[in-house]
Amino acid sequence: MTATTTGARPSTNGRGPGDKGGTAKREIDYLGILLEGRAFIALIVLIIIFALLSDSFLTFNNLLTMTKHVAYNAILAIGMLFVILKGGIDLSVGSTVGLSGVIAGVLLQGWQIDAFGVVIYPPVWVVVLCSLAVGTLVGYVNGLLVTKFSVAPFIATLGMLYVARGAALLISNGSTYPRLGGDPELGNTGFGIIGGGRLFGIPTAIWIMVVFALVAAFVLKNTPFGRWVYSTGGNERAAELSGVPVRRVKLRVYMISGFCAATTGLIISSELTSAAPQLGESFELNAIAAVVIGGAALTGGRGNVRGVLIGAFVIGFLSDGLVIVGVSTFWQIAIKGAVIILAVMLDQAQQRIKRSKNAALAASSHSEPTTTPSTS
Amino acid sequence: MKRQILAATVAVITIVGLAGCSGSSGGSGGSGGSGESSGEAGGLISIITPAQENPFFKAEADAAKAEAEKLGYETSVASHDDDPNKQSELIDSAISKGAKAIILDNAGADASIGPIKKAEEAGVPVFLIDREINENGIAKAQIVANNAQGAAAVAESFVAALPEGGKYIELTGKESDTNAGVRSEAYASVISQYPNLVSAAKETANWSQDEAFQKVETLLQRDPNVQGIIAGNDTMALGAVAAVESAGLLDKIKIVGFDGSPDAVQAIKDGKLVATGLQPAVLISQLAVQQADKFIRTGETGEEEKQSIDCVVIDAANAEKYTSFALED
Amino acid sequence: MTEATTDDVVMRAIGITKTYGATRALKGVDFSIRKGTVTVLFGENGAGKSTLMKILSGVETPTSGTLELDGEPLQLRNTVDAADRGIAIIHQELSLAPNLNVRDNIYMGRERARGGVLIDYSSENATTVRLMERLEERLDPKTLVGDLRLGQQQIVEIARALAGNARVLIMDEPTSALSGSEVEVLFKLIRELTAENVAIVYISHHLEEALEIADHAVVFRDGDLVAIGDRNEIDLGWVISNMVGRDVGDLSPDLLEEFGEPVLSLENVVIADPSNPARLAIDEVSLEVRAGEIVCLYGLMGAGRTELLEALAGRTSIQSGTVRLKGRKLSKESVAERIALGLALVPEDRQRDGLVQTMSVGENASLANLLAFVKGIVLNRRQERTSIDKAVKDVRVKTSGPTAAISSLSGGNQQKVVISKILMTEPDVILLDEPSRGIDVGAKAEIFGLMAREAKRGLGVLFATSEVGEALGVSNRVIVLSKGRIVGEFNPKHTDREGLMVASGESTEAAEPENGLGK
Repeated sequence: MTATTTGARPSTNGRGPGDKGGTAKREIDYLGILLEGRAFIALIVLIIIFALLSDSFLTFNNLLTMTKHVAYNAILAIGMLFVILKGGIDLSVGSTVGLSGVIAGVLLQGWQIDAFGVVIYPPVWVVVLCSLAVGTLVGYVNGLLVTKFSVAPFIATLGMLYVARGAALLISNGSTYPRLGGDPELGNTGFGIIGGGRLFGIPTAIWIMVVFALVAAFVLKNTPFGRWVYSTGGNERAAELSGVPVRRVKLRVYMISGFCAATTGLIISSELTSAAPQLGESFELNAIAAVVIGGAALTGGRGNVRGVLIGAFVIGFLSDGLVIVGVSTFWQIAIKGAVIILAVMLDQAQQRIKRSKNAALAASSHSEPTTTPSTS
Repeated sequence: MKRQILAATVAVITIVGLAGCSGSSGGSGGSGGSGESSGEAGGLISIITPAQENPFFKAEADAAKAEAEKLGYETSVASHDDDPNKQSELIDSAISKGAKAIILDNAGADASIGPIKKAEEAGVPVFLIDREINENGIAKAQIVANNAQGAAAVAESFVAALPEGGKYIELTGKESDTNAGVRSEAYASVISQYPNLVSAAKETANWSQDEAFQKVETLLQRDPNVQGIIAGNDTMALGAVAAVESAGLLDKIKIVGFDGSPDAVQAIKDGKLVATGLQPAVLISQLAVQQADKFIRTGETGEEEKQSIDCVVIDAANAEKYTSFALED
Repeated sequence: MTEATTDDVVMRAIGITKTYGATRALKGVDFSIRKGTVTVLFGENGAGKSTLMKILSGVETPTSGTLELDGEPLQLRNTVDAADRGIAIIHQELSLAPNLNVRDNIYMGRERARGGVLIDYSSENATTVRLMERLEERLDPKTLVGDLRLGQQQIVEIARALAGNARVLIMDEPTSALSGSEVEVLFKLIRELTAENVAIVYISHHLEEALEIADHAVVFRDGDLVAIGDRNEIDLGWVISNMVGRDVGDLSPDLLEEFGEPVLSLENVVIADPSNPARLAIDEVSLEVRAGEIVCLYGLMGAGRTELLEALAGRTSIQSGTVRLKGRKLSKESVAERIALGLALVPEDRQRDGLVQTMSVGENASLANLLAFVKGIVLNRRQERTSIDKAVKDVRVKTSGPTAAISSLSGGNQQKVVISKILMTEPDVILLDEPSRGIDVGAKAEIFGLMAREAKRGLGVLFATSEVGEALGVSNRVIVLSKGRIVGEFNPKHTDREGLMVASGESTEAAEPENGLGK
């Protein structure tokens, strides 16, 4: 998402015809740097501070560990980005994380079918598909509630937060599924690779995050669906009148969010080789925070994957960095909150500047004689 | 189409789950209407615990139920989810159902006093398990695990596993939970006697496995030569085990937990965990029911009101004797 | 009363200018209000009347210029400020809270309270009853406003203005939802108020009705005050000639004389009012648009123009009747499907329905036609960009480039983007709802020029307007819509403004047969 003005050069910008054409390219670059730069600069500042305070912060292994932790939240946040771009919110992702882990747990421990007196041990790939399907299904229900039954997204997904958590507790009867490593005799080993494995020395969780981010960025930028998400979030009525299949778009974004949440659930359960029904409590808030720090508007239509990744890194590096430096838990919580508020405040200020610039531009283009409209 | 099938599947799972729940409580109330006269065993014992979803409370409730049924009582099991209001309602309904006794893991040391008084005044004796209240002489018995003793014993095992000393990490529970504080203090009281043990970090992981995992991974980045991790409960200890395992340091770092959960005992058998403190939840429940039974028959429990039951340390030496799911009887 | 002395003037506006982003709604207007008289404001939509009234009543603050009350400079920060000084306004759009009852609406924001804490309901009730009696509308003060019909709501709105004992009372289209007898009561009341020396400012689209009550008339055009006249100097002709003013020929582009096959035909179309399903927004409408033809739907607010166009575009459904596009009968097709079939709408409210403000010019332009650029599942962005460049150039959008923010364009250019979006879908029929709303004269001419050009290329064009000049200047045929029905069809070459206005019900004779006022 780009526009033509920047907040950095109010005096030279938006004054009239002389500003157009030749300088347009440079302005766009400035804006890009500024829009995401805010969060990016915050990230750099964080890294510098922590590196000064602790020798072990800026080591390759620690960066790798922290990035792996970032990945859990980043994958959730990428799904959340789709929903927020559409102008909704998905509070159910944390519970979906727990539910998908439990589904994997129950299947890996053997799914007892009393009617036939058998216990089924599906192979890992089936387990993974089932978990992802259940996560997507939670999203589908969210989407149905929002589109077909016109429930406000906040309420619909809040309800599903409880329903999904309840389902996880019911299925697991409240207990944790331990030792999900599988049994070679049953042919269901390998679950641990999803979160615990490494490829070229990099944890799989990071690879998954990278793939999700690339795919999401590509979809948002280069497919009609991506454009439809932006337009539905920006102005649903206008999108609808332009022939955008608004309802289908809404349904899909919640399904994407559910899918991403299920992926996170699988990664964490795999990493721990155990699935607890309580897993993922309040994860939704971290995901929303990452999206917002990344410059997305909760009203929809504005935001991108790059910003979300930076937001997730800011939150993740901040949490881990404070642990490494040894700040007390209570301060960790308070500092995280302050960073979120600060990020959104800066974003608002920037949007205000942008709006007034655009208004000035519009006024200037208006005051030019409209009798010679063909020159531009 | 595929989505609809999936929807149906989840709906069925949900409904079956719900039916399972109501089935268990409904069944217990099913064959009601036995003798009312005191001096005899029989009648209803109402068992109220904080939450069924937690394996510890579930084990506690299951043990009480089994013991009561063994002694010839009917039971009804309910959970108050740590909500004093709900607890009060559950006590009301136990009174109106004519329960002979209430076995209660209460929802707050102060908030529970009133409802318990109400039950006692209605002639229903209350036997408290696991948690105390801030007043004596109301409940017939207050039977709790000795957290401080248990934690100190676990800390002794921890120290014994690290004869050379070294750096250690402590993971504490939710800072608002008194048990987190009691255990942490007991750990400190033992470990402080060994100056060669140095604290590398003390972090809360909120009783959560996932949080413990991430924190330990991060802390190991700072201090790769940590020798021990002592956790406030087994869930966090298992999170630490996963982190240490993925760092390939399992043979270098000694980890202990608390609670005596089956998963933790399995980890001890696998050699991943050094020790855990077994909270005698089953024993406490059994004692409470036995005393309730005695009280119903004879009018007294024959014990002090406040009873503190010692915890047992489970380690490699006795883990095999801990038959699987011993907590659940 | 012709030579008003300064003593008569209660309130004065001096050099008032108001700009909204790109639009200059008022251009240095001087205006005075005299006590005990009714000043009527005339002007087309967007001429600046409502903006001036909002400034006089504290709803808006002027960009420049000053207000005076009793010769003293006046700064109005908000409506409460204005009400405290005895200036009250009855809004064009009802500003009532439907969830509150009649009494609470009347006292909204100025509750009578004992000791500043407890609301004095009994005194509020009593006053409410008295006000309602005066308006000859016996409503229980405790009736929910949401349960009242529109006309009654308007009366509550009037009562609210009266409750403040105003010295200056501004009425912006107070009769748009009133029946003839209710208008009569209102006019009687206005006379009573002027006898009590209250100054009244009155705005109405019903020209003859407004002339009936006027002591002075003021005409606005494009943000300027262009004419002032006293009762004895003014008549309908004076008002209309001053309102339209400019040579309508400016707008008139060359139009085809001969047309092709019918591309859009409606037969007995009935549409329920989306906001009140019991009422019909469109009642048995039949019409035809042929290839190359520009048909104008002329009608007042509430005539059903927007409802008809939105239903044709597929956003709402029709209740009965048939719609054919190039001979093919349409039934449940979605907006997207209709666009694919060649029928697309340029909506009335550009900000709300036409544009996605968070997206760039180019993204807005290609939004309706994205699927045309898909290769596999991926957008061919180069092809999209080429098409956008072509389309934007085609409608002459003045912008720094397709990546510019849509909000950086003026209203006229934004409208051109909306039109280019529709044209990119290569439609056979385009529907335009008030295409000139909120844009200046130059841009208007361009928009209509585009419309004519597309018609020449063989498109069928159906556009709705409430401006007579547009209806007559840029169409092959004018269909007059009033209260959901077609009340006349005109050839603009053989019709004058008055004929059209009379037919549309803008003249009171046609609008309210039982009303008897304008005779």
